[in-house]
Amino acid sequence: MSNTTSNTGFEGFGAKAIFVRYGFLIIIAAFVAFFSFYTDSFLNGSNLLNIVEGSAILLILALGMTLIVTMGGIDLSVGIAMDFGAAFAIVAMKEYQVAWYFAVLIGIAGGGLVGLLNAFLVVKLKVSPFMATLGTFFIGSSVQRIFTNGGGPISYRRVAQEYRDLAVGDIAGIPTEVVIAFVVLVIYFLLLERSVFGKRMHAIGLQQSAALVSGIKVRHYLFFGFVFASATCAIGGIIGSANLRMFTPLAGYSYLLDAIAAVFIGASIHPQGRPNVPGTLIGVLFLGIVANGLNLLGLNFNTKDALSGIILVGALALAVMQKRLR
Amino acid sequence: MTLPVEHILEMQGISKAFPGVQALDKTDLFVRKGSIHGLVGENGAGKSTIIKVLAGIYTRDEGTVSINGAACDALAPAVVHEAGVRFIHQELHLVPYFTVAESVFMGQEQHGVLGLAGRRMRRRAEQFLKESLNCELDGKALIRTLSPAEKKLVQIARALIDDKARLVIFDEPTAPLASGETEQVFKAIRRLKERGISMIYVSHYLGEITDLCDEVTVFRNGATVAQLNRVDANSTQTIIHNMVGRDIDALYPEKKHSDGARMFSVSALGDNSRFFNVDLNISAGEVLGVAGLIGSGREEFIDTLYGLRRAEAGDMQFDGRELKLKSPADAVANGIVLVPRDRRNDGLVLNMSVGDNINLASLDEVAWARMEKRGLSLKRANELSEQIDIRPRNPKAITRFLSGGNQQKVVLARWLATQSKLFILDEPTVGVDIGAKVEIYQLIKELAANGAAVIVSSSDPQEMLGLCHRIMVMYRGEVVEDTPIDAIDFDSLLALSTSGARVASTA
Repeated sequence: MSNTTSNTGFEGFGAKAIFVRYGFLIIIAAFVAFFSFYTDSFLNGSNLLNIVEGSAILLILALGMTLIVTMGGIDLSVGIAMDFGAAFAIVAMKEYQVAWYFAVLIGIAGGGLVGLLNAFLVVKLKVSPFMATLGTFFIGSSVQRIFTNGGGPISYRRVAQEYRDLAVGDIAGIPTEVVIAFVVLVIYFLLLERSVFGKRMHAIGLQQSAALVSGIKVRHYLFFGFVFASATCAIGGIIGSANLRMFTPLAGYSYLLDAIAAVFIGASIHPQGRPNVPGTLIGVLFLGIVANGLNLLGLNFNTKDALSGIILVGALALAVMQKRLR
Repeated sequence: MTLPVEHILEMQGISKAFPGVQALDKTDLFVRKGSIHGLVGENGAGKSTIIKVLAGIYTRDEGTVSINGAACDALAPAVVHEAGVRFIHQELHLVPYFTVAESVFMGQEQHGVLGLAGRRMRRRAEQFLKESLNCELDGKALIRTLSPAEKKLVQIARALIDDKARLVIFDEPTAPLASGETEQVFKAIRRLKERGISMIYVSHYLGEITDLCDEVTVFRNGATVAQLNRVDANSTQTIIHNMVGRDIDALYPEKKHSDGARMFSVSALGDNSRFFNVDLNISAGEVLGVAGLIGSGREEFIDTLYGLRRAEAGDMQFDGRELKLKSPADAVANGIVLVPRDRRNDGLVLNMSVGDNINLASLDEVAWARMEKRGLSLKRANELSEQIDIRPRNPKAITRFLSGGNQQKVVLARWLATQSKLFILDEPTVGVDIGAKVEIYQLIKELAANGAAVIVSSSDPQEMLGLCHRIMVMYRGEVVEDTPIDAIDFDSLLALSTSGARVASTA
């Protein structure tokens, strides 16, 4: 007979849950200690800020992914949504001289279009999320190449300073992109972990038929989820374009696997193995720390990926083992 | 030196404690050779614990076990298997896209000179199913195309295919089956008995126990409270008495006369494929039974009433208004709720907590600005758990770990929280033990007494007769009878369900 009393449904913050998360934080701390010891520059302030700043875009995409995985799907087109966000914003400003804040809204809407296609495929045509978003990924990649005549970047040097500041400015000394990522984080936390909407999303992801019978409008929620997640990813693309003052086609692709990894790191350190917002944050930071540390160690470029893989799998194995030990 | 062995299994004075629970307390279980031995008891009585002790999954604290006359000090899965003991678990553990033959031989594949001996395995699987289990199946058929009963038989074949089984333990083998399908499994079990195999049969269905078993052991609170060496039709009362520790003189609560206003009516409803031209009327305070076998269109009809399927013809009226249902959400918004027949898939989000499941349909009432007020939602889940006695009384427990009866109460609690008006209960007591059954019946009565209308759809005629004010019977997609309860009895209900007429026309 299993002791079921300590299992706490949604509340990921009971004593046990904190212990489990804490366990993974110990692993992260061990890496921090290791990197600090073996490199001179890891632990200095500007490098740590680098890690946080470098993680902002990934965090935003990973949060969008967390929403999709929570409702039982997967989104292979997060990078496309990000690219569309950048493209729509930059083109709006360059070709149509739109004000920077309108450009931001247009960029978000552009990302939302990608989600709209996903939602249409999944909810209306009942294609599985994996296949639907893979299709969107292919289509979206091709559209970008066609639009840019083969993939050349569209740069706009005279972009408004306010727009530029989304990436390079700061608010009260904190880089703006970190502030933006933090705001998105808080919104997602409230949405997925605290709101009625989030609970219904979790129910849909865990057992869709039961959610349907309990009177939840499953199709509405799925539709909204896909659009909202993609629109979120567009924010990441806008920050990226603000940094370089250009739209780089297919730039979002490199974030896809990291976003998936971050969400599943977060899920594997959750007591019930569910995707969750705090876990995703930890996953993103972990990936950022490892990537930065390996960089500073000055390893051969070719071995770095292998090492990241080994570290990722090893750390997760430890976390899962520790979860079993409780 | 071997004495003539009368018992295939002797478990004597078995005790097993878990932190805070004495699951087994000097329990005895003796199974005579060649018999079918019924093991009954309410949830938590220790049935599954003693089975797990026998399987070597739990280590006993004290007591002796001997299998076929040989004492077994240390029980381990491999030892027990070697002794010829096989377990048929409640879950099927079959791969949907494997064939029958592949499934039967999974993990014990036979090899020929050129790899797997596919044809030999297929013939052997077909032969075994036919000769030992009384079931003709194509070895090439995919598992997903089989009926639930056939899947069960494949699972049994897989455990017994090596012909070394001497004692087989069945854990609720008919739980996923409709009443029409159980007979196929019973036939197989009787055939096994003819072949000299001893069996332990664990079930909540006392009708099955008295039908099938030669002897019965009753557990209560981890102790053996009765051992019946003979079983006949009168045994049911004895068994119930021992299971609950008191007499349940009234399984069904007394019916209150209903005289409410017309609440819900359906006319000429049909989906052009499974049911046609169905009329239904129900008033506040009324309990209406919908009877019919699997395939009679009853399930599809019920699903349509809840918006899970689309009606193609006819219309529905609710409280004098026309009702169009596009989804269950529409039904719930109108105060119509469903307790679905497939509790584990459609009724509950098993990996969510009890509290979350209870609040799932009425989250807005425990929220402020769309944010859940968790103190409030826990409090309400607690109150409802208290009100209908959900055990454990812990809204944070994960629903998966509750017993069938308590899970069903969680589904009911969810709808009680919504103050709905029409309750549709589809197979409300499937896989529920007798104690919880009585409580669910009581709850149904109270719902009706408080002015709700209740539609009970069930394949258990006894339950329908005991609960309902009125019964309608479906047969081949049409309603063949709609009658007050005093104008129908068990035999005519059965005849109507199986043949569409009051008097069975079959010779």
